[in-house]
Amino acid sequence: MSDAAEPIRARPARPRHPQRRAMRHGMIALALLGAVLAGAPLLPEGALSVDAAARALAPRPAHPLGTDLLGRDIAARTLAALAQSVQVGLLAAGASTLVALVLGLAATLGRAADHLVGGLTELALGLPHFVLLIMIAFAMGGGTAGVIVAVALTHWPRLSRVLRHEAQVIAASDYVAISRALGRSRLWVARHHLAPHLVPQIVAGFVVIFPHAILHEAGLSFIGLGIEPHLPSIGVMLAESLREIMAGHWWVAAAPGLGLMLVALIFERLGEALRRLSGPAGGTT
Amino acid sequence: MLRPLSTAAIALSLMLPAGAGARPLVLAIGGEPDGGFDPIMGWGHYGSPLFYSTLLRRDAALDLVGDLATDWTLSEDGLVWRVTLRGDALFSDGTPLTAADVAFTYNTAREAGGLADLTVLAEARALDATTVELELTEPRITFVSRLATLGIVPAATYGDDHARHPVGSGPFRMVEWREGEQLVVEPNPYWHGGEIAFERVSFVFGSEEAGQALARTGIADLVAVPPAMADAAPRGMKVLHVESVDNRGLAFPMVPRAGGTTGAGAPIGNDVTADRAVRLAINQALDREALVALALNGHGRPATGPADGLPWDNPGAAIPGNDPAAAMATLEAAGWRDGDGDGLREKDGLPAAFRVLYPAGDSTRQALALGAADQLRGIGIDARPTGASWDEIGALMHSEVVVLGWGAHDPSEILYLHHGAYAGVDYYNTGHYRNPVVDAHLEAAEAAIGFEPSLAHWQAAAWDGETGFGPRGDATWAWMVNLDHSYWVSDCLDPGPLQVHPHGHGFPITHDLPSWRWTCE
Amino acid sequence: MNAWLPALVAGRLLRLAWLLPLAATGLFVLISMAPIDPVQAYVGGRTSQIGPEQREAIAAAWGLDRPAPERFASWLGRLVQGDLGRSITFNAPVLQVIAARLPASLALVGSAFALSFVLGTLLGLVAGATRGRWPDRVIRTIAVVLAASPGFWIAILLVALFAVGLGWLPACCAAPPGRLDSEVALADRWRHMVLPVVTLSVVGLAPLVLHTRQSLIAFLDGPAARHLAAHGARPLHLAFGPGLRHAAGVALTLHLAGAGELFGGSVLAEAVFAWPGLGQATVRAATGADAPLLMGIGLATLLFVFAGNLLADIAARLADPRLRRAA
Repeated sequence: MSDAAEPIRARPARPRHPQRRAMRHGMIALALLGAVLAGAPLLPEGALSVDAAARALAPRPAHPLGTDLLGRDIAARTLAALAQSVQVGLLAAGASTLVALVLGLAATLGRAADHLVGGLTELALGLPHFVLLIMIAFAMGGGTAGVIVAVALTHWPRLSRVLRHEAQVIAASDYVAISRALGRSRLWVARHHLAPHLVPQIVAGFVVIFPHAILHEAGLSFIGLGIEPHLPSIGVMLAESLREIMAGHWWVAAAPGLGLMLVALIFERLGEALRRLSGPAGGTT
Repeated sequence: MLRPLSTAAIALSLMLPAGAGARPLVLAIGGEPDGGFDPIMGWGHYGSPLFYSTLLRRDAALDLVGDLATDWTLSEDGLVWRVTLRGDALFSDGTPLTAADVAFTYNTAREAGGLADLTVLAEARALDATTVELELTEPRITFVSRLATLGIVPAATYGDDHARHPVGSGPFRMVEWREGEQLVVEPNPYWHGGEIAFERVSFVFGSEEAGQALARTGIADLVAVPPAMADAAPRGMKVLHVESVDNRGLAFPMVPRAGGTTGAGAPIGNDVTADRAVRLAINQALDREALVALALNGHGRPATGPADGLPWDNPGAAIPGNDPAAAMATLEAAGWRDGDGDGLREKDGLPAAFRVLYPAGDSTRQALALGAADQLRGIGIDARPTGASWDEIGALMHSEVVVLGWGAHDPSEILYLHHGAYAGVDYYNTGHYRNPVVDAHLEAAEAAIGFEPSLAHWQAAAWDGETGFGPRGDATWAWMVNLDHSYWVSDCLDPGPLQVHPHGHGFPITHDLPSWRWTCE
Repeated sequence: MNAWLPALVAGRLLRLAWLLPLAATGLFVLISMAPIDPVQAYVGGRTSQIGPEQREAIAAAWGLDRPAPERFASWLGRLVQGDLGRSITFNAPVLQVIAARLPASLALVGSAFALSFVLGTLLGLVAGATRGRWPDRVIRTIAVVLAASPGFWIAILLVALFAVGLGWLPACCAAPPGRLDSEVALADRWRHMVLPVVTLSVVGLAPLVLHTRQSLIAFLDGPAARHLAAHGARPLHLAFGPGLRHAAGVALTLHLAGAGELFGGSVLAEAVFAWPGLGQATVRAATGADAPLLMGIGLATLLFVFAGNLLADIAARLADPRLRRAA
C-alpha cells in the first residue's frame, strides 16, 4: 500500500513522526507478545482441564470470558492458544523471512539465478494463497510443523522482491564499484554496504509477515489441517465454537477471535510504521 | 419397459403413499457418502441402504432374516452359499430382479477395489432366475455380513453414474441429491416390503451444528446430537439415547518388552501389562458405573467385552468389577507389593506403572483415562493419562496402554482384535496377543457351517471354561463403557424398536426407516 | 481493437505455457510427499470391515501401489487427453467433481467480487473526500481492523448475530433444507447467500479502500481538481464525479489481481456456512489424501488466478494508456 501521497497532506496541526509512531507500536507489540508468552506458562494447573460442573457458562466473575461445553475456561484457553499461535507465527514468519532473504540475494547472483527465482515467485503467486497453504500443509501431513513450513513457503515472494530490488540497486551503485575497485572482498561489501540497507527491510518484512502467518495458521487449524486438535489453538477453538454458537453461546467465539485480531492488528500497525521508516521502496506492492 | 400387469399394480401403489397421513420427514443425522450410493463401492454399511435391498438383513435383535432371500443354506464344506430369491422383487425402474443381478453384483464388487470386502468370494453364479450360488475360497462364516449389507444393483443398467443415479429394489428411490447439502428420497412404488408412512424423506447434511439449528426451528424431525448437548432438547422434541456397542476400553500390550519393533520401527511390549495379574486386577478394580457417570454424563452402560449384548457375546467371560479388595489380592499373590510405602506397587524393582494414551482431542476418552487412572491408583497401580495425536498413538500403541474403541455388527471384528495373525496389523491386535487355543476357536467360528453354529465358537474364544481373551481368561483388554448415541426426536415420530447401535453415531438409526410411523395428525 | 491487446494476451499465454507444466510437476511432488496413507484415509472408520487383502485390492484398483513417477507419467498421459483422473473420495472423474461444485463457488466469489468492489470503492472515495475528518478515520479504522481479523471469525460473528441472535438470515447451506431444488424460490437462494457473500467481500476490502482513498487524494491534490475546486466544486462532488473516474480504473486493476485471494477465502467461508462448493471439496480432498482431485483443484485455481491477473493487466491498460506501450 503506497502512502507516497501522505507527506503532501501532512498538516502542521498534527505533525506525524514515523519514528515515534513506530516506537510506540513496537513497545505495545512487544508488551503484548511478552504478556501472552509469559502469561501462558503461568496459568494455574488445571486451568485448561474440563470441568463437568461448569459447562457452557456465560461470562461471570469466576470465568470472566465464560466456559465452553466441556467446562473449560475460555480466558485461560484463549491465552494458551494465543501463546501457541504467537510461537508458531514467530517461527513461520522467521522462516519465511529467511527464505525471502536467501532467494532475494540469490536472484542477484546472475541472470540464470534471477530467472529461476522469478519462476519460483510466479509459481508461488500462481495459486491462491490459501490453496497453496492447504497443499503444503497436506504434503507435510498437517500438524504444527506442517503449518510452519506451509506459511514459510508461501509468504516470501513480496519481501523477496523488495530485497532483490534493493540488493540490485546497491550492487550497481557507484560506491560498491569503487569499493570493489579498491580491492574490497565481496564479503566486505556485503557487510558494509548491503547489510545496513537490507536489515531494516528484513525487520519490516518480518513484522509484516507475522500477522499474516498467525491468521493463516488459524485458518488452517480451523479446517483441520493445522495445529493438532488437542493443543489449544485459536483456529481449533473457533472451529469448536461453531457448534456452540448455534446454541447462543456467543462468548465461546468472541474472545479467541478478538485476541487473535488484537495481536494481528498491533503487528500490522507496527509493520506499517516500520515500512514507512525504511523508505518508500518497501511500500510498493 | 413395463409389462402391462405390473403397470396396473404400480398405478395402484403409486396412489397409496399419497393418501392421508403421508408427510415429509426431515432428518439431520449426517452419513453422506462422498462417493455416492453405489453398493459395489461400499454404500450401505450401516443403517438403511435406502435404494437397495440386500439378500439378508438383521432385525432389531440383530438376528438374520430374509430380505430378497426366502431361503439360504451353506454347503457341508462351508464353501458354497445357496440362496433362493423371492420372485416378486422389482428394481425402481420396474424391471425384475433376478439371480443374474445378484451374481453380477457380487462378482463386480469383488473386483471393484471399493469399501465392500469380498476378497473371500471365489465366484457368484446364477443357477436359474431365483437361485444363486456364492462360492468362497475358504470357509468364512462372517461372509454372511456381506449378505446382509451388499445391496443388489441391476446388471443391465449398472454403470459409471450409478453412484449418483442409483437404481435398486429398496424401499426408496432418489428424488434429488445436492452433494454436500441434502438428499431427498421418496418411497419406491415397486418395493416389495410394504407401505412407507412418509411421502418424502430429506437427509440434511451440511454441518452437525446446522442440524441442531434446524431442530430448534422445528424443521428437522430427527437430529443426531453430541451427548454433552443432548439433554437440552428443543420444544416438541424428546431426547433419545440409543444403546450401542460403540465401546471404549484399555487395550493392553500383551508381551514383555524384549526389544522388538514393528516394521515401522514402533516398540513392542510392556513388562507391566504383560503380567496377566495386572490386567486381571485392573478388570477387577474398575468401577464402570462410575466411569459412565463421569465420562458419559450417565448416557451409556458398563462394558465388559467388545460386543456386549450382541449374539456372539459371551457374558460368562466377564468378571465382577468395582472390587478393589479382590484386585489387590490378585496383585499381592502375583508379587506386586508396595515395598517402599509410596502407595504404589512394584515387583522385582519394576514399578506397576504405565502410560494410558488417549487421542487428546477426544474429551470422552480423556475423561475415561483420567477416571480409570484415579481408580487404579487406589489399588497401587500408577497409570499416567497422556494425551497424544493419533500419529503418536500409532507409534506407541504396541508398547503402552491405549484407550481404543470398536463395536461392529460383525463378529469378524472379534477375530481381527484377538487372532495372532493380526498382531500388529493396523489398529487390530495392537497388543500382539497370541493364544493358540483362542486362535483355534476363532478359526472354528469362521469355519462353522452356518451363522448360528458359529456363535458358540465366538463365545468360546472369549471364555471356554479354561482360557479365552475375555477378562476371566487372558484379559487382553479392560473394557470400560459402551456409549449411548443421542438424538433429538420429534414427539410425533415413532421409530419403533431400535437395534443396538454400532460404532458410529448418526446414520445407523435409519436401519428400520421404512417402518417408522408418524403419530400426530 | 488496439494492437497492444493481442500482444499482451500472447505474452501471458506464453507464460502460462511454461507455468502450467511446472506447477503440475510441483504440485505432484508436493502431494506425493504427504505421509498420509490414502488407503487408510479411504477406509476411514470402516477399519473393522475391511481386511488386509481388501486394502491391497483398493490400492491396486486406484493405482496407489505404483511408484510416484509412474503415477505421474500416467496422470500426465491422461491429462493431455483432457482427463484429470478419478477422485477416490467422490468416486467420480475429477473434472465432473470440479464442474459440479464450481458454480456454487463462482456464485459466491462472483457476488463477493462485485459487492466488495462497490463497497470498497465507495468507502475509499468517502474516506478520500473527507480525509482527516471523522468519516475518513472511521473508515480507515474499519479497514485496518478487518484486514487483521480472521475471515472465518467474522463469519462466525455474523452467524451469531444475524442467524442465531436476530434470526433474520439462515446460518448455513445454499438453500433451505427439506425442499427440492425446483421448489426453492430465488429469494430464498439470495437470503442464503447474504452472509457468506458479506463475509467474503469484507475480508478483501481493506486494500481496496485504502488504495482508492490514496488515488482520490492524489487526484484531489492535482491541478485539475484544484481548478475545479476553485470554480466552486464541492469535495464530495469532485470525489464521485471526476474522482471516481480517476480512481475506478486503479481500483478495478487491484481488485482483479486479488480475485484469486477471494477464492482462497471461500475455502474458509464454505467451511463455516456448509456451502457446497469447491472449497469444501478441497478440504475433503486434502483430508482424504485424494491426489488427483487436489491436482485438479490446484490447476483449476491456477487458471483462475491467471485469468484474474490477465484481466487486471487489461484493465490497467484501459485505464492508463501510457502502460500500453510498455506491453
